[in-house]
Amino acid sequence: MTAPAASVSLGRGDGSSLLEISGLSKRYGDQRALADISFDVPARQILGLIGPNGAGKTTLLETIAGVLPADAGRMVWAGTPIAFADRREVIFYLPDGLRPWDDQFTAQVIAFFAAVYRRPQREVAAAIRAVGLSPVLGKRVGALSKGYGRRLMLALALITPHPLLLMDEPFDGFDLRQTREIMGVLRDVAAGGRTLVLAIHQLVDAERICDRFVLLADGRLRGAGTLPELRARTGKASAGLEDVFLALT
Amino acid sequence: MRSPDAVVPRRAPFPPLLAKELREILSGRALWTMLLLLCPLVGYSFFQAVALYGEASAAARDSPTLASGLSPLDGVLVPSFGALYLAVTLLFPFVAIRTLGREKETGALRLLVQLPYRVPTLIAAKMTAIAVAWLVAVVLPLSALAIWAGLGGHLDPPETLNLLLGHLLYGLLVGAIALFAAAIADGAATAAIVALAFTIGSWVLDFALAGQPGVLDWIARLSLTQTLRSFEQGLLSLGLLLGLLAAIGGFAALAAVWLHPGVALRAKILRSLACVVVVGAVLGLASRIALTIDLTEDRRNSFPAADQRALGELREPLLVTVHLAPEDPRYVDLRRNVLSKLERALPHLTIRLATAGHSVVGSTGEENYGEIEYSYGGRSAKTRSTSHREALPLIYELAGRPIPTPVAGDDYLGYPLVANGGLALPWFCAALPLLIVIAWWWSRRPPRIPAADALA
Repeated sequence: MTAPAASVSLGRGDGSSLLEISGLSKRYGDQRALADISFDVPARQILGLIGPNGAGKTTLLETIAGVLPADAGRMVWAGTPIAFADRREVIFYLPDGLRPWDDQFTAQVIAFFAAVYRRPQREVAAAIRAVGLSPVLGKRVGALSKGYGRRLMLALALITPHPLLLMDEPFDGFDLRQTREIMGVLRDVAAGGRTLVLAIHQLVDAERICDRFVLLADGRLRGAGTLPELRARTGKASAGLEDVFLALT
Repeated sequence: MRSPDAVVPRRAPFPPLLAKELREILSGRALWTMLLLLCPLVGYSFFQAVALYGEASAAARDSPTLASGLSPLDGVLVPSFGALYLAVTLLFPFVAIRTLGREKETGALRLLVQLPYRVPTLIAAKMTAIAVAWLVAVVLPLSALAIWAGLGGHLDPPETLNLLLGHLLYGLLVGAIALFAAAIADGAATAAIVALAFTIGSWVLDFALAGQPGVLDWIARLSLTQTLRSFEQGLLSLGLLLGLLAAIGGFAALAAVWLHPGVALRAKILRSLACVVVVGAVLGLASRIALTIDLTEDRRNSFPAADQRALGELREPLLVTVHLAPEDPRYVDLRRNVLSKLERALPHLTIRLATAGHSVVGSTGEENYGEIEYSYGGRSAKTRSTSHREALPLIYELAGRPIPTPVAGDDYLGYPLVANGGLALPWFCAALPLLIVIAWWWSRRPPRIPAADALA
C-alpha cells in the first residue's frame, strides 16, 4: 500500500473489511506465540481480542502494528496489501501499562502528540475532557496513578488521527464506574468513524462494548464473529460470551 | 474529539520531536550530576595548570629562550579541557544513553516508532540533544578560559577553536557510541557497560599496545583517546576529521538500524554489515588523506617559515629510508622532529621503514640499524641524527639548493604569565555549582498549563 497518507480510507461502514489478516505466525525461540492467525477487522466496529493471559493477544496486536516482527503472515488494508513501513499511517497501537516519558509533565506529552499530528487545540481539549485528564496535566507522567496513566494513554489515542486503533487492555486499572465511562468514550470514537481492536481479558467488559470477537488460546484462533455467530457455533442459543469462550477453547 | 476527515501526516515537523528530546535529557539527573562533578574537576585542573604555568613563567622571566617555550595551549588550555575529556569518557555515556535507554525501559519506544518520523530523523533528534548536552558541559572549561583571559592570559583563536573542535568531535563520538549501545541493549545498565567498554577499553589499548610493532600498533590506533591527541597538538588533520565524522555517522547509523523493535534480527544484522562496510571504506579513504594544517601560534608542528617555503619548492620526490624499529625512542623523535613536519611541507615524500615488522631486539644487531637515508634526484645521503637541524641541510645539499636564511621577526616569543589561579576556585567550587543547581531546579518546573476548557 503506498498512498494512505494523503487520504486514509476509513472503510465503508457496511461491515466490509478494513483490515484482513491471514496466516500470521510468530515464535519466540522454541515457543510458539501465534500460529497461522487469520481474521478480518470490519470497518467502524469494535472488535474484541479475547483470551486468557498468555493467549497471544499482546503479541498479535504488536505484530499487526509492526512493533514486533512477525515470522509469517499477510495484511491487506481496504483491499490492498499493506507494507510494513505504511502500517503506522493507518494503525496506531496503544500498549498496556505504558508510562511514556515518565520524567515529563502530562501536559508536555499531550502537547507533543498534538504537535506531531498537528491537531487543533479544540480537539486536544476535547480529548482531555473526554478522558478526565485535566486534574493531572501539571503532574509528571511517572507520578500518575494507574488510572490516570491509562487515561493519558487513551487521550494520546484520541489525539492520533489513525482510522484503526489497537488497544491492549484499555480498561485495566479502572473501577466499574470508570470502566463504563471509558466505554462510552470508546463508543463515541467508533461512532465517529474509527475502528477499534481491543485486547480484553475481562469477558464481561468485552461483551458490553465489542461488536465482534476474536477468541484466542495458546496462540491459536478458536473462533471469530459476532456473539450470535459464536453462539451458533457452540449450539448454545442463549449463552453469554463466557460460556461461548469456554465451549470453544 | 476528532474530525471525521482527519488525515494521518506522512511526515511530522522536527521541532516538537527535538523539544521532546531536549526535555528528556534536561529532566534526567545524569546531565546535572555530570555538571556538578565536572565543576571541581575543571576548577582544580585549571588552578593547577595556572600555578605550574606561573612557576615556569617566573623561571623564564630573564630567559627569552625559556619564555619561547611557554605556550598557553600546552600550559593551560589542554589541562583545563582534560577534565572535560575525563567527564566525557566516564560520565557522558550515561547522559547520552538516557536519550534512548529510558524509552526502551518504559516501553515509550513502541510509541515513538509509530509516530510519523523516519528512524534516521529520530536518531538525528537524539544526536542533536546529545550535542546540546555537550555544549552545556563545555560551558565549564570555557568559563576557565574566560578567567584565564581575565587574568591577562593569552588565547590564540585558531588553536583554541581547533581544540574545541577536537573535544566536540570526541564528545559526539562517545555520544554516538552510547546511543548505539542503548539501541542494542535491553536496559540502560547494559548499555552503560557496553559504552564504557569502548571508552575505558580505549585507555587499555593506549597503555598496553601503543608503541608496539605491527598489528598491535594498528589496533592501538583504534583507541578513541588517539583522536584528541592531534587536536591537542594544534593540528587539524583533514583525514582524521573525515574519519571521525565517518565514525560518528557510522555509530549513529548502527543505532538507527537497531532502534526499531519491529525489524527482524536477520535484517538488522545484514544492514549492520552494510553499514560497517561503508564506514570502513570511508575510514580507509580518510587514512589516505595526508593534508594536515598546523594551527599552533608557535608553529611547533612545522619547520621555520624559511625552510617551509624552501621545501615546498622541491618538485622531485624525496625518499626517506629509516633503519629503526617503530617502538625505538629514536624513531619517535625522528617522527616528531622531522618526518611528520616533512609530510606537511613536501609535495612528494615517501617514507620507508626498512625494519617494518621487526622489533628492536631483532634489528639492533644489523650494521645499518639507526641510519636514516635521504634520497633525492638520484643522490642519497645518510645520517643517524633525528634532529631537523641535521636533516634539512642534507636535503638541501641533495637538492643542490642553498640553506635558506631565517626570516627576521618569525620567532615565537612565548606568553609567560605569573597569575593567581586560586581566584577561580570560589567560582568552580561554589558559584558555578550553585548556578547549576538553580538551572536544574528551573528545568524541572511544571509548564504553564491552560485549563482544558480554555483550550476549546
